[in-house]
Formats: sequence, C-alpha cells, structure tokens
Amino acid sequence: MAVPISQMWTVASYILKKRLSGQKKYPLVLMLEPLFRCNLACAGCGKVQYPPHILKKQLSPEECFHAVEECGVPMVSLPGGEPLLHPQIVEIVNGLVERKKYIYLCTNALELKKRLHEFTPSKYLTFSVHLDGQREHHDMSVCREGGYDIAVEGIKEAVKRGFRVTTNATFFDGTDPNSVRSFFDEVMSMGVEGIVLSPGYSYEKAPDQQHFLGRAKTRRLFRAILSNRKKSWKFNMSPLFLEFLMGKRNYECTAWGSPAYNIFGWQKPCYLLQDGYTDTFQELLDTTNWDEYGTASGNPKCANCMVSCGYEPTAVNAGFGSLSGFFAMAKAAIFSSYKDQGALDLLNNHTTFTAERSHLVKIEGVSLTPQVAQLEETRA
Amino acid sequence: MSQPVHAATPVNVDELEVVDGRAYENLEGWIPELANEADLQNALEKAFDYRGDISLTFKNGETVEAYIFNRQSGKSLADSYVQYFASNALEKRKASYAEIARIEFTGKDRAAGKHWEAWLKKYAEKKAAGETNIALHPEALD
Ligand code: SF4
Repeated sequence: MAVPISQMWTVASYILKKRLSGQKKYPLVLMLEPLFRCNLACAGCGKVQYPPHILKKQLSPEECFHAVEECGVPMVSLPGGEPLLHPQIVEIVNGLVERKKYIYLCTNALELKKRLHEFTPSKYLTFSVHLDGQREHHDMSVCREGGYDIAVEGIKEAVKRGFRVTTNATFFDGTDPNSVRSFFDEVMSMGVEGIVLSPGYSYEKAPDQQHFLGRAKTRRLFRAILSNRKKSWKFNMSPLFLEFLMGKRNYECTAWGSPAYNIFGWQKPCYLLQDGYTDTFQELLDTTNWDEYGTASGNPKCANCMVSCGYEPTAVNAGFGSLSGFFAMAKAAIFSSYKDQGALDLLNNHTTFTAERSHLVKIEGVSLTPQVAQLEETRA
Repeated sequence: MSQPVHAATPVNVDELEVVDGRAYENLEGWIPELANEADLQNALEKAFDYRGDISLTFKNGETVEAYIFNRQSGKSLADSYVQYFASNALEKRKASYAEIARIEFTGKDRAAGKHWEAWLKKYAEKKAAGETNIALHPEALD
C-alpha cells in the first residue's frame, strides 16, 4: 500500500473513535466539488452537463471549510469539474491543509504544470491526476489528442517538486487489461506514490450511455488486471477494495462514507446519484432513505455500481473496524502478488473485441494504433 | 405524496456483463399539460432530472428561467417544493408546488446529443483531413 503511515493512523484512529462512540453512520472522505466547469468535455462524464449560469458558479473557500467542519472527515477529495479552474483553489487547499485534512486534488492536469508554483508540498496534499490508461486510451477517453502528454508533464514536474502524486483511472467497457498493466508500469516509472482506479459508473447524464461495465465483467477485468501483480505497482487504495473489484469479496455500499457537497448542497445519496439535496450534513444523514440505495436494495440505479465512493468506505471500515478485518487487510497488503493462472489465461487467450462492443473501433474507417484497435473481452 | 420507491431489480446484478445507461427522453421544448396534481408532480420530477433551464410561471404571474436542482414531495402541494437557481440571480430559491401555474422546458438539454459515436465520427473526419490535436472542447460560457 502506498498510503503514508501518518494518514493510515489518522484514518484508523478516526474510525476507532466513531465506533467507540457508537456512531453507525460516519463519513470518511468528503467529495467536495468546488465547481462544475471543466476544460475537457469527456464523453464518459456526467458531471459537467449544466447550463452556463450553473457552470459559472463556485463554492467560496468559507463554504468549503464549513462543509468540511460540518461533516468532520479526515480526508477530502476535490473533484469537479476541474478544481484548478477555481480562482481561489490555492486558498481552499491551504485552508484545508491548515485544518490537517488529507486532500486529494483531482485534476486532469492540463493546467497543473503552470500552476504548481502556487502550491506548497505537504504530506496533507496529493495531486490525483486523471489518467485513463496509456496515451491513446487516455486521449480517446478524454476526447482530446495530446491530453496524455500534457498530464504526464504535469505529473513529472509535481513529483520533481516534492508533491505527493497519484494517478486516477476510470475503466469502461472495452478496456484492454494488458494495456492497463503496461500503463501501471509507465505511471510507476514516473515516480508517483500510487495508483487509484475504479470501474466506470453509468452516469445518467453521461453523453456515452452504452459502455458501462456490468458487475460480472468488472470482476473479470479487475481479476485480469490485478492478479499476478508486480511488486513495483503501488496502489493508493484499500487492498480489501481491490479484492472486492477482483471478485474475492462481497461488500455492500456505504454511500454515506463519501458524501458529496457542491453548489447545490449535500447530494442525496452519493457523489454519483442525484436524488435531491439537503442544506446540512445532518439532514442528509437523517432524511435519506439509505435502504433504497446500494446493490442489495434492488434500486436499478445502483445495480452495477462497484465504484470506490460507495464501496471503498466499506472496505476501509472492514479493515480498520475489527481485528479480523485488520489481519485480512495486512495479509492483502503483504501477500499482494495474487498468483492466478486463470487470470493469466484471461490476459493471454483474449479474443479480439467485436466491433459492435468496442466503442474505440466502432466507426468504420477510424484507424487507431494496433494497441487501441485490438480490444479484448476478459472472459474466464 | 412520497418519493418513488424502487422495485426489486429483476436480474442477478452479479451476472451483469454490460449495462446500458438510461434512454434519453427528448424534453426540449415540452410544455406539460398540468390538468391535475399528478401531472404537476410528474412534470416537476422530470424538470428535476432535466439538465437545462426550465421556465416556471407562478400563479402571481411572475416567470423565471431557472435550473431546478432539488425537489421534495410532502403531504400536499403546499408543503412540496422545488429549489432552483434563477439564471439571473446568485442565491438559491425555493417555491412551493402550489405556487406553480406553468412549466416550459425552454432551455437546451445539456446532457443530450454528445455521443461517443459522434466524437469518433468527428475524430475520423478530422484525422482523414490531416488535422492534428483533435479534441472536443467545452462549450463557451458566455
Ligand atoms: S451503489 Fe453506487 S450509486 Fe448506489 S448509492 Fe452506492 S455508491 Fe451511490
């Protein structure tokens, strides 16, 4: 695991305190969206589809600090939109660092290199750079040629200047697990602290509505990617959550574990679904019918979800919430090679992905690199 | 009135291979007929889901162009409300369902029409024409 001990200790003692005080529903990470506007227009994103007057709005630093204090989390993720487009993002970050919150600033890194001098390296600040795979995959994913190269320049400069840096990838249907493994080699050689990954979620508002991974395929894909792991790969995630993605564990969603706050208020029930908003965090906890969400609820909107904001809090709670959970987590962190011949077969015996199923080779006449054009399905 | 309760999913979710997203309803330009309470509730539910501005006309004759970001159903129209940002104001506003006389889906649906296929087609055309640095760019905000 790539997470520093001080951060693990902060999270572990926070969970312990909550448990000892008998609190059942408590948040771990605040998804604080200071604005929705972005400098990319990715086809898989459902976050930026708003009228211009909404895209021009943003949270003030005071609103951000108030939200963080209101819910009391130890960690804050700053997604968006693109947080570096917020004119007071430095003030927001500095204020959160002063409050000793572990911050993940999620950026597409188009602006990162030229903005780095405004930030100060700190154990509390991590740049979580959105990178969806190797160059061609990332550029197609963000619908922008050259996006990968700009992001990598930003990563390298941030690493050079002593910042904590992780990469953050979302994988959709058609992902080539071999390419993802090569991608892991590439990003680790850039000197990043660790890798963050997640299966794509079926955003209702995403322009691309046909390429979301179902649970069976997600587990096969992540089994192929994450088994037979190289020692050099470090993940900035709970090892138990990675086992969940590989199909080795079954967890239920802890939607209140990563609450989301933005210009509309506290989002019900989670960062991914919008079933309304509340003005306070307590109201979010009290008025959301949590039984209506998560895979077991039968809610079709949650049916295929295995996304980190719902399931990683479950894994973290499991790891730090009991002795057996702690041993399972320690075991997963130490014995992390996951030797698996079946997973090797998935990587080796892949069949060429059919044109109808592959969004990257769907249009006749589009000739991408052989690596991109040869997409495979990971059938066990 | 209460929020919709979800039926049990009729499939084993753990066996799902690929999941389609939701089909779009083309609501741009729609002016729902508000003959009864159910019509109003249904229209406001769709307005809440719509990623564009809505024109709301109140019973006092005032009209606002607004983005509706929240709705809460209570026991009656009077204690059910929508929350919105008017396009010409900074602060959040709230209106009871009982105040609303007319709803028009006048704003552009920002979630519609930008398909992956459209991007790939554009990409292929530009590539064939010898263009480099091909990209989709966000719409201008002014
Ligand atoms: S299952 Fe996923 S979409 Fe549903 S509430 Fe949990 S995190 Fe949100």
